[in-house]
Amino acid sequence: MRDLKAVGKKFVHVMYPKKSSALLRDWDLWGPLVLCVSLALMLQGGSADSKEDGGPQFAEVFVIIWFGAVVITLNSKLLGGTISFFQSLCVLGYCVLPLTVAMLVCRLVLLASSGTVSFIVRLVVVMAMFGWSTLASTAFLADSQPPNRKALVVYPIFLFYFVISWMILTFTPQ
Amino acid sequence: PSPCASANGRRAGRAGPGWRLDDTEDVSLDFGNEEELALRKAKIRHPLATFFHLFFRVSAIVTYLLCDWFSKSFVACFVTILLLLSFDFWSVKNVTGRLLVGLRWWNQIDEDGKSHWVFEAKKVSTSIAASTEVEARIFWLGLIICPVIWTVFFFSTLFSLKLKWLALVIAGISLQAANLYGYIHCKLGGKKSISKVTSRFFLKLVVPLSEMQN
Repeated sequence: MRDLKAVGKKFVHVMYPKKSSALLRDWDLWGPLVLCVSLALMLQGGSADSKEDGGPQFAEVFVIIWFGAVVITLNSKLLGGTISFFQSLCVLGYCVLPLTVAMLVCRLVLLASSGTVSFIVRLVVVMAMFGWSTLASTAFLADSQPPNRKALVVYPIFLFYFVISWMILTFTPQ
Repeated sequence: PSPCASANGRRAGRAGPGWRLDDTEDVSLDFGNEEELALRKAKIRHPLATFFHLFFRVSAIVTYLLCDWFSKSFVACFVTILLLLSFDFWSVKNVTGRLLVGLRWWNQIDEDGKSHWVFEAKKVSTSIAASTEVEARIFWLGLIICPVIWTVFFFSTLFSLKLKWLALVIAGISLQAANLYGYIHCKLGGKKSISKVTSRFFLKLVVPLSEMQN
């Protein structure tokens, strides 16, 4: 259907962040929802109290992603950005895609082995995807700011993806 | 039958006042297609849309209340309820609002990046595809009661300190309240005041109820 095709097109745009207005003009929050749920599902079962089947953790990931995205959006709006609230949420949510891919790769690597080599592989992959996420979202969001405020906008985005990457990197299945 | 009926109707319309003219309908339906007549008399013209409008909302609420019966896993319940709420949001915003009450709303971003929200209401039409009173009543009742129930859940979760459900309840409230706000905005259309509309709505509800009692 029309909506599914729009979501798919946006995923492609995130992987090849060209200067296009498809992500900005027709925003939708379905992609971020799917990515958030899949990332939260994949981060399951990585804590000591796995008797509770990771209940609080699932909601934690959810809250971190959505609350973090809302705070960044508010920050960029207060700094005088021209982008609208939902557009910014849309971009931030879609740019979680590289990190979801990194999580998938990490889980596969952890299935194979969990020694130092696997840690180095995971570190490299997570760092690369973190850089990609930050660059992709900055490419879309920083243009809506006056030039002397770009760093103030990029820093919270950097922190946001850093926290998600940290959660991915420190994930150890029980 | 229907292509023949419309051709005959067009001839009847153009032939002038001597011919049999039906001036309540400008659509040529008076050549008695039984299905069309039944459709005009029916109380619910969009049964699928009405069903789905209520189905997703009510199942989300029922699943939330009975989640301990269905599965021990918090994650499965969370994801199921979230999926039901998303389907409900999509179907109410894109399908049932348009079909049942002729209203729609969306967000548009123009060339210079400014975003504005558009709220539209269909003009009253007498075609057979228009919605009925019963459908409109079901639509608004479903639209209003469910966010109220989710707000009750919010307070019960907060005070019983089952905080891991709070994220889900907040998501539910925001999705349902967004649709409620959008459609009320469409209905008001910037002219009438909300008190007049709500009093008329309750009159329409109360009068048939009191008639049933008498």
